[in-house]
Amino acid sequence: MDKTILKTAIGLIFLALLVAIPRYVESPYALHMMILLFMSVVQGQSWNILGGYAGQHSVGHAAYFGVGAYTTMMLMHTKQIAPWYGVWAGMVLVVIVALAIGSICFRLRGPYFVLASIAVAEILRLSAINLTTLTNGAEGILATELPAFKIGGTIVTDFVTKVPFYYIGLFLVLLTLGITYWIQHSKLGYYFQAIREDQDAAHSLGIHIALYKNIGLVISAVLTSLAGSFYGIYVGFVDPATVLGLDVSVQIMLICIIGGMGTLWGPILGSLVLVPLSEALRSNMITEALVKVGMVNADSKIGIFLKENLSHAHVLLYGILVVLVILFMPDGLMGFLKKMAMRRKQEAV
Amino acid sequence: MAILEIKNVSKFFGGLAANSDVSFSVEEGTIMGLIGPNGAGKTTLFNCITGYYPPSKGEIMFDGRCMNGLDPDKVCMLGMVRTWQKVRPLAKLSVVDNVMVGALARTSSLKVAREMAMEQIKVVRMEHRVDFLAGGLPIGERKKLEVARALATQPKLLLLDEVMGGLNPAESEEIIQLILDIKQRGLTQMVIEHDMKAIMRISDRIVVLTSGEKLTEGSPQEVVSNPDVISAYLGESHA
Repeated sequence: MDKTILKTAIGLIFLALLVAIPRYVESPYALHMMILLFMSVVQGQSWNILGGYAGQHSVGHAAYFGVGAYTTMMLMHTKQIAPWYGVWAGMVLVVIVALAIGSICFRLRGPYFVLASIAVAEILRLSAINLTTLTNGAEGILATELPAFKIGGTIVTDFVTKVPFYYIGLFLVLLTLGITYWIQHSKLGYYFQAIREDQDAAHSLGIHIALYKNIGLVISAVLTSLAGSFYGIYVGFVDPATVLGLDVSVQIMLICIIGGMGTLWGPILGSLVLVPLSEALRSNMITEALVKVGMVNADSKIGIFLKENLSHAHVLLYGILVVLVILFMPDGLMGFLKKMAMRRKQEAV
Repeated sequence: MAILEIKNVSKFFGGLAANSDVSFSVEEGTIMGLIGPNGAGKTTLFNCITGYYPPSKGEIMFDGRCMNGLDPDKVCMLGMVRTWQKVRPLAKLSVVDNVMVGALARTSSLKVAREMAMEQIKVVRMEHRVDFLAGGLPIGERKKLEVARALATQPKLLLLDEVMGGLNPAESEEIIQLILDIKQRGLTQMVIEHDMKAIMRISDRIVVLTSGEKLTEGSPQEVVSNPDVISAYLGESHA
């Protein structure tokens, strides 16, 4: 009992810190990093519900991310509908898309489901490129002017700084964590895991396989679409490659594979690894650090090569990371930590 | 009263008849043994009864209701549950969680499901394994876990597919006692088994299948003394 009180206390202190950060940290870059982190946690946790708990490894979650982002942005751009209404439209649309995909793809198992999920996301990406009247094609939609958010005439926020986005992100993180926690401690979670472990056995125990897979997909897709809408209004720009591309799907999945699938904290750990890594690569921080330490001469051939190429190498590094994780930590960081804790316990005995 | 009636059931895979024109019925509260040489179609018949395959011909009546074309989950909800010849533990879940998945067919409350699960774990005498991961159990306990999980769905008819396969004599004896215990509680059972001594002891009636057809049916004594059965198992010269 003391342990749970301690855990809650630590959680609350941590939450208070997160809430307080924007009051004391003014650097927009630091806030930007936190927002990216939040977005990544939401994406990962949404995927985790379907992929980690129910064992349906979708490599097409960009579909839901993209539909959410596009719907909100299109409504704001063409109809001037504020994003906090557009988000709902995005969610409704995503439920329809998810049920359509689910009713077709869940007839397939294992690798065939994975392939089908990739295909569906690619269909949506190509549609977004080619339906130019609707989506503005490959050019994408730019809509950076957000209307002020008012409640009863008083302006709550005008979205000029990054602070409101920070709190929206934090709220979405808490929402997805809460939903995952609830699933884990309900019949739904048991049934998801039973389906993951052995579909035929689950079926014989009275579990309606198609129904529960679709429930998992809808929850996962709606949360992913929320992340997509958030991405759209935060960045102010969507195009087919950045919200519907295959690498979006892969990155969402990587968060869980690296952090630990089917665990509450896995996606958070995964995001803590992946977000700083991709940011360091993108901003060429690693090359600069190597030069500073003196390991690489900035003007040597290697230095120039790194400077030119390392910022595009994130996909390569993700690949290497996945290989390492699968070889040495098949249950992700979470599984690895649990194993270490168990070993320590056994050694203590 | 017959709880399960198999009426002229056939199952074809392409041109192959895995079951052809099988008929028998199982009386409430009894144990029906299902025996036959390898490839006789015993497991196929189980699959037809529990909804994994639709029968090609014939009718399966359970509790006065036609079960043809119902999915396995509906079959389970109506009170008929099976175990698997090749055990299927939910490996990354603990023993109690495995059994709870079964119990959740009858309740949505985890608390109630846990109580129901603990009850069945007691029945199979695995209280000392409650928090073990199912994937780490030895085969004898995996088989018992299958039975507990099936029992937790509160069935009227329990179908056991070779629960003694791969067990040592002591473990088999334990399972025999378990099956008799379950009978005591009034549950109807249908048992596929290769161990002749065991099936003789537990069954009230036995159906013999060979090459997909019903060879004979009767009490254990009638079945063992039937020359057709002996020749099916041991060859013509022994009959």
